[in-house]
Amino acid sequence: MQLEQFKYDNKIVRNFGIATIIWGLVGMSIGLLVATQLIWPEMNFLNQYTTFGRVRPVHTNAVVFAFVGNAIFMGVYYSMQRVLKARMFSDLLSKIHFWGWQLIIVTSAVTLLLGYTSSHEYAEMEWPIDVAITLIWVVFGVNMFGTILKRRERHMYVAVWFYIATFVTIAVLHIVNSIQLPVSFWKSYYVYAGVQDALVQWWYGHNAVAFFLTTPYLGMMYYFLPKMANRPVYSYKLSILHFWSLIFIYIWAGPHHLLYTSLPSWVQSLGVVFSIMLIAPSWGGMINGLLTLRGAWDKVRTEPMLKFMVVALTAYGMATFEGPLLSLKQVNAIAHFTDWIVAHVHVGALGWNGFLTFAVLYFIIPKIYKTPLYSKKLANVHFWIGTLGILFYAIPMYWAAVVQGLMWKEFTPEGVLKYPNFLATTLEILPMHMMRAVGGALYLTGVIIMTYNLIKTMKAGKLVADESAEAPVLQPVVKSEPTKHRRLERKPVLFMVLALVAILIGGIVEMIPTFTISSNVPKIASVQPYTALELQGRDLYIREGCVNCHSQTVRPFRSETARYGEYSKAGEFVYDMPFLWGSKRTGPDLHRLGGKYPNKWHFDHLLDPTITSPGSIMPAYPWLIEQTLDNNLLDKKMNAMRVLGVPYSEEEIQNAFTDLRKQADEITTDLAANQVEIRSDSEIIAMIAYLQRLGKDIKAEAPEAVEEIVLSDN
Amino acid sequence: MFKQITNLNGDEIYLIASLWVFLVFFVLVACMLFWMKKDHINHMKDIPFDDGESKKESNQSLQK
Repeated sequence: MQLEQFKYDNKIVRNFGIATIIWGLVGMSIGLLVATQLIWPEMNFLNQYTTFGRVRPVHTNAVVFAFVGNAIFMGVYYSMQRVLKARMFSDLLSKIHFWGWQLIIVTSAVTLLLGYTSSHEYAEMEWPIDVAITLIWVVFGVNMFGTILKRRERHMYVAVWFYIATFVTIAVLHIVNSIQLPVSFWKSYYVYAGVQDALVQWWYGHNAVAFFLTTPYLGMMYYFLPKMANRPVYSYKLSILHFWSLIFIYIWAGPHHLLYTSLPSWVQSLGVVFSIMLIAPSWGGMINGLLTLRGAWDKVRTEPMLKFMVVALTAYGMATFEGPLLSLKQVNAIAHFTDWIVAHVHVGALGWNGFLTFAVLYFIIPKIYKTPLYSKKLANVHFWIGTLGILFYAIPMYWAAVVQGLMWKEFTPEGVLKYPNFLATTLEILPMHMMRAVGGALYLTGVIIMTYNLIKTMKAGKLVADESAEAPVLQPVVKSEPTKHRRLERKPVLFMVLALVAILIGGIVEMIPTFTISSNVPKIASVQPYTALELQGRDLYIREGCVNCHSQTVRPFRSETARYGEYSKAGEFVYDMPFLWGSKRTGPDLHRLGGKYPNKWHFDHLLDPTITSPGSIMPAYPWLIEQTLDNNLLDKKMNAMRVLGVPYSEEEIQNAFTDLRKQADEITTDLAANQVEIRSDSEIIAMIAYLQRLGKDIKAEAPEAVEEIVLSDN
Repeated sequence: MFKQITNLNGDEIYLIASLWVFLVFFVLVACMLFWMKKDHINHMKDIPFDDGESKKESNQSLQK
C-alpha cells in the first residue's frame, strides 16, 4: 500500500490556542468587573463606556465567541487534521479565518462599548459585524469541507460529525437571527416584532448554547478524552445515537426561555417536552465520556488534564439535568429572572467549556512544542483553585435565586405583597453577589496560573509548525458497504444535508405557525405605534443596555400583577422591533411603568438612582442630561419601521421633528414646574417619554376585550 | 404537571405530531445501529490512535 508523506499545520492550532488564553483572561476579567458592579455601583465609574448595560454584553460575547470560539477552532484544527489524516485544506484560509475572527472580536468589543447594539442577547453586534461573522464562518466551512474532501481516512470519526453539525446549524441560526433592516452603518431594526422576535431570539439563544457551546465541545471530547486516557471511546454505537438524538431534539427546546409569556402556549409546551427529552442524549454523551475512563481512573489521580476532563463532564451532566428541571413550569415560575439562570449558565461555561478548554490546552501545547508540561504541580493548583471558584460562584447564586424568587412571591396574611419594594429583595442578596465575585476571582487566578505554566512550557520547547505524518493513499470504493450509517460516514455532503434536515424540523414546526397564523398573536385595537420622541427614547434604552437588568413582560401570576400591574399580552408588542422582554430581573419589570411615577421621578432616578431608591445598585446616567438627542436618523428610522409594518402615515413622518419637539417641550415644561431646568433636546427627555409610554396602551381598552387568566402562586 | 401539555385548546396536534416525528427518527437511527458490523465499530473507535503521527512517534520510541 502506497504511503503518502504530509505535514500537519500546528502553527494555526498554536495561534488559536494563544488567542483562547488571551481572550479568556480578558473575558473573565470583564466578568469580574461586572460582578463587582452588581455590588458597588461606583464600579461603573460614572462613565457611559464602562457602565454595566454596555459592559455585560462585552463579557458574554468575549467569553462565548472569543474564549470558547477560539478554543473550538484550536480543538477542531488539531483534531480534524489527525482523524482525517490530512493537512488543513488551505493555509491562506486558515490565516484569514484566524485574523478575521480576531478582528470581529475587537470590533465587537469596541462597538458594544460605544452603544451600538441590536439588543438580541448573545447576538448584540450590529449588522456589519453580522455580515463579517457570516463571511468568516463561510471561510471556516470551506476550509473544513476542503479538508474533509482531501482526507486519507475514508470514514469520518464521530468528532467530525459534531463539527459538521456545528458549522451548518450555527450558519442557519446566525442568518435567521440576524435578518435586520439597516437604517445606517451602525443602526438597524430586526424584521421580526414582539412575540415573533422573542421566539426567533430564544430559538437562536438556546441553540447557540447547543451548537456553539455544546456540539463542538462534544466533538472535542470524543477526540481528546480517548487520546488523554489512551483508550478508545466506550461505545461508538452510543456516540451515533447521542449525535443524532442530540441535534434533533436540541433545536426544539428554545421556547422554554419564554414560559408564561405571551408566546402561544402550544409552543411553550413543545419547548418543555423536548427539554425534558433532552436529558437522554445529553446524559448518554456524558456517560459515554466518563465510561471511556473505565480502567484508567488511576490516571485521573496523576494527570491534571484528566482531572479537568472529569469535572468538565460532570458539569455538563449537572447543567444538562438542570436545564430540563428549569424548563418545568413550576420550577420556572420561581427560578426565571433570578440568579438561578446565571448560576446554570456559569456551571456550563466555567465547568464544561472552561475546564474542557484547559484540559485541551494542557494536552496540545506540550504536544506541538514537543516538551513536557512545565509544571504538573501548577496545573493541579489550577485545577483545585478553579474547582473552588466554580463552587464559590454557583452555590451563592443558587442561594440568592431561591431567596429572591420566594421574596418576590411572598404575601402577608392580609393578602398584600410582603416585599412590595423590589429593592428590598435586591439588597437581601448582595452578600451572595459578593461571594460570587470571590468565586470569579478564584477562577481567574487559576487561569493566570495556567497562562504562566503554558508560557514556561512554550519557552522550554520549540513549536513544530509543520509536523510530519504519513498515511496510505485513499483508494476508491470498490464494493458496497453493508450498512447505511457506514456509507453515510464517508459522504460528508450528504451527512451535512441530513444534519441540516434534522435541525430544521424543530424550528419550522415552531416558527411557521407562529408567524403565519394570526390567532397566535391577537391584535389589540388600542395599541398604537411609538411617537417620534418615544422611538428615539426606545433606541436610547437599547443603547444603554437597560434590557440587561429590566424585563418588559409581566407574567400572569398574582405576585406579578400585584407588583407590576396587568399581565402582558402578545398584541401589545406588535410594534416592538426588537422585543425587549429581557431574561433577568436585577431591577424590577418595566412593562407597566408608564404613568406610574411623575417625570421628575424619572429625571432624579436617571441622574442618581439613590435619590429615589436609597441603596439602589443601578448605575447613574448623567450623560443623558448632558448629551443632545441625535435626530439625524429620525425620518430614516420611521421609514424603516414603516417598511417593517408599523402604520406610520406619510404625514407623521413628515411632521416627525415638529411632533418630537412638541412632546419634548411638554415634558420639559412639566419638569420646570418641578424645579428642574433642562434643555428639551437632551437625551433624558426622550428616555422619559419612552418610559412613560410603557404598557399604557392596554389601559385604553375595556378589560373584557382580553381573556383574564391570572394564576395563583400557590 | 401534565395539564401544561394536555390543555392546549386544540393545538395538541403540534405536540403529538412533533413527538411522532421524533419517534420515527429515533427508530430509524436505532435500526441503523442494530445493523452495524462490529469490525467497523472497532475501526472507527481506533481512528484517533491511527493518525500517522502517533505511529511515527511510537516507531521512533521503539527505535530508541
